[in-house]
Amino acid sequence: MSGTTIPPLALSVEHLGVTLAGRDGPLPVLEDVSFGVPAGRTLALIGESGCGKSMAALALMGLLPEGLRCDTGAIRLLGEDLAVAPPARLRALRGSTLSMIFQEPMTALNPVFTVGEQIAETLRLHQGLDAAAARAGALEMLRKVEIPAAAQRLDAYPHQLSGGMRQRVMIAIALACRPRLLIADEPTTALDVTVQAQIFDLLKTLQRETGTAILLISHDLHAVADIADEVAVLYAGTCVETGPASRVLAAPEHPYTRALLACSPRLRLGAAAAGPAPDLLEVPGMVPPLGQRGPGCRFAPRCELAGADCNHPPPLRPAGAGRAAACWRVGDTTLEAVA
Amino acid sequence: MNDVLLDVTNLTVRFPAGRAGPFGPRRHVHAVDGVSFQVRRASTFGIVGQSGSGKSTVALALMRLVGISGGDVTLDGMPLSALRGDALRRARRDFQMVFQDPYASLDPRRRAGALIREPLDLLEIGSPAEREAEVLRLLSQVGLPAEAGRLFPHQFSGGQRQRLCIARALASRPRLVVCDEPVSALDVAVQAQILNLMRRLQRQLGLTYVFISHDLAVVQHLCDEVAVMYLGQVVEQAPTHRLFAAPRHPYTWSLIAAAASHGAAGQAMRRRHLTPGEPPSPIDPPPGCRFSVQCPHVTARCRTEAPHLRPAAEGHLAACHRMEELGVPDFGLAEVA
Amino acid sequence: MGGNRSTLPAAPAKPASPAREMLRHFLRHPAGMAGFLILLAVALASLAGPGLYGVDPADMAAAPFEPPGPEVPLGADYLGRDVLAGLLIGGRASLSVGLAAALISVLIGVAVGALAGWFGGWVDRVLMKVTEFFQVLPSLLFAMVLVTLFGASLGIITFAIGVVSWPGVARLTRAEYLRVRGLDYVRAAVAGGGRPHYLILRVVLPNALPPIIVAAALAIGVAILFEGGLSFLGLGDPNVISWGMMLGQNRTYLLDAWWAVTFPGAAIFFTVLAVSLLGEGLNDAINPRLRKRG
Repeated sequence: MSGTTIPPLALSVEHLGVTLAGRDGPLPVLEDVSFGVPAGRTLALIGESGCGKSMAALALMGLLPEGLRCDTGAIRLLGEDLAVAPPARLRALRGSTLSMIFQEPMTALNPVFTVGEQIAETLRLHQGLDAAAARAGALEMLRKVEIPAAAQRLDAYPHQLSGGMRQRVMIAIALACRPRLLIADEPTTALDVTVQAQIFDLLKTLQRETGTAILLISHDLHAVADIADEVAVLYAGTCVETGPASRVLAAPEHPYTRALLACSPRLRLGAAAAGPAPDLLEVPGMVPPLGQRGPGCRFAPRCELAGADCNHPPPLRPAGAGRAAACWRVGDTTLEAVA
Repeated sequence: MNDVLLDVTNLTVRFPAGRAGPFGPRRHVHAVDGVSFQVRRASTFGIVGQSGSGKSTVALALMRLVGISGGDVTLDGMPLSALRGDALRRARRDFQMVFQDPYASLDPRRRAGALIREPLDLLEIGSPAEREAEVLRLLSQVGLPAEAGRLFPHQFSGGQRQRLCIARALASRPRLVVCDEPVSALDVAVQAQILNLMRRLQRQLGLTYVFISHDLAVVQHLCDEVAVMYLGQVVEQAPTHRLFAAPRHPYTWSLIAAAASHGAAGQAMRRRHLTPGEPPSPIDPPPGCRFSVQCPHVTARCRTEAPHLRPAAEGHLAACHRMEELGVPDFGLAEVA
Repeated sequence: MGGNRSTLPAAPAKPASPAREMLRHFLRHPAGMAGFLILLAVALASLAGPGLYGVDPADMAAAPFEPPGPEVPLGADYLGRDVLAGLLIGGRASLSVGLAAALISVLIGVAVGALAGWFGGWVDRVLMKVTEFFQVLPSLLFAMVLVTLFGASLGIITFAIGVVSWPGVARLTRAEYLRVRGLDYVRAAVAGGGRPHYLILRVVLPNALPPIIVAAALAIGVAILFEGGLSFLGLGDPNVISWGMMLGQNRTYLLDAWWAVTFPGAAIFFTVLAVSLLGEGLNDAINPRLRKRG
């Protein structure tokens, strides 16, 4: 994937800053976060809870909750800056050029309408189709998301479908208007592992067909490794590492990424399954809560490599082909050079 | 003293599920349908499966928190499934539980110290002064400072809450601890802390765990023996190293393929072994093999005749008519980094 | 790992208990505090007012239909009795009937609802049938029958109001018990060796209580109105002055002496309004979903 020319960016987030209005002035939620998603590619935004990944998604959609605002940086969707776009323009973009799927497909679907009606409504709203054409479009979308017996399921209510089916319906709604960017916030976390693999396969197939750029938000780097082309790892509101997914997984540069990968057990199969499992690597402590982030590198209090220079926040610096990491140690402690 | 601590025979749990039509027969959800296993002392027995497989119902049934419709559960010679009323209540000091969601399993209106103390008070273990000392000892055992006892649950992070739940579960010095997805609600970095804590406590206290999880990697990491459940039944059961080296049931293959690594090898495994679709409803399970609806290797016999668990190797059981024919898939190329 | 203790959040000097948090939120709720202050004022006025004002409310001292003026600040009724003196003393009856009847309805309602919700099965079915029976009875008529049968004393009236108004509380309590009963911390308490009475009273009740407190506050208002209604119909305790009784006795002279009807009516109105505001304040303070996360 590295040899081909890089397609134009569908989404480019530049130096994004989001703050929460607090009693003693604004608290930073996201600081200087930059990443880009090329058309037809997938970028995974990785982080633990409290790192700001879901806030980033909501900022892109213009749906930040009350008290939160995006006050620095630019969010360019096909060149247009969403951070300064008026609400009416955002409404027009949402659902057509820009769409989103959520973690819990049950609460994201309206229980009193059939799934067919919900897909058709999106088509009517954004593409001005008449009822019959919208229904036909809805049926086509259900077939595309590989729902068996799509014609009957068109008239089913959300509660009559399984979790996996509901998430397929959400994907059908999200992709009905062929958006240029799809934001998927933990789309498989509520689903079983085998269904999760099916959903990722489906997203990939549909992406090849439509050329939609996908911003995938997840807490699990391993789980998204196959679907993501690029990853951006967030920690306590800052972006600590970006790069091609396969390389970041194989040789993480930032100590936090390394710790994240080392602390979850890996499945050992075949001959490797013999022998007892070693203790897992532990990162002491936890992600600092809002308002309790230190002035320097956010990860320094938990980092075994931290030194005096980590009192200054490290910028995201290039670290090899297409990669960048925000750590003063990158360069002298890299585990192995990636060819 | 015999080696088996927990003996489960033919455990069955049914829930009423209304009627088929206004005058139709009463229907039941067969949440757990004839599950049998034995857990050795100081070992960890894992149960994996997807949601709806009945694995959490097994946990609740072992804890006597849902009604048992049939079968026997024996803990160290004590017939748990036959106990009633106050005898059951007093027996509870020997088996405790850690729940999935540490946000839901601590009473929000009580302080952490009182929550840990509660089983000691209720089961009348030790004198009041001893109980206070015991709370402090338990807090330190799970890696929390003594001041934590004065705080309310909402003042803790998810990982700290799960430490509190573990401390509370260990308060009565139980022999068996049933853990229902104890780390799946936690962040990855915190999961590692809790898993290491559980292993350390097991080594120190000689605890026996029944560990319920959907995460194969976690199960492999922690368990000595694993049972795979599908739609209320055990379809395969083996020592952990055997299950992941030579799994015999197509459903196990599908689970393993879904959890296997990224990259070409994992993708190849998924293409070959990942089953399409989702499990059928547990209300009216198919008459033959319950997996037959999803199984890529299904035959006419599978649809009519239910397979029973039978030995595939020493200590290794699987329920598949075509076990010998299908053999063991080649996971050699899929060894994970 | 042994020495690896996780850091606790910076703990405040006094750990905030959920109850204290609720109180803090309530104290900042404008409507709730307004209701609380009005009620407090009404309670103080009816407790200390008669003594301070010093006029016997039964004394026919003024001329009948004397309008409000320097002699009688709120006028006199058709028998020449001082309306203000009646209002001050009548508050005692109205408030105490309201509180006591609400207490009775909450006690019955919580007991029935808790048992039905906790045990389920046939206990639930029987108790809910009884609840439905009381719910479909026309409550005013039923209370009138009770009062007619047992006499119109304040105690009987209070009891009658309490007995007809508990089904709502019972249903609410049952729903809360059903919800809380399935939570993991209740299961954990069962696993920890809790006896049924401990589980019902010490584990589930505190967590089911918040909406019941709100319902209890609102029940006070309903009971005050109910007492007013009974007295208005002439079924009140003839020996005790209440706002409803004043309304009922003077209603035929509304066009001649508006003050004798308007002031007791306004007293009932503002008291019931204050109770509603108090309930709203409690509800907002108790219900964390409506509360803004700080």
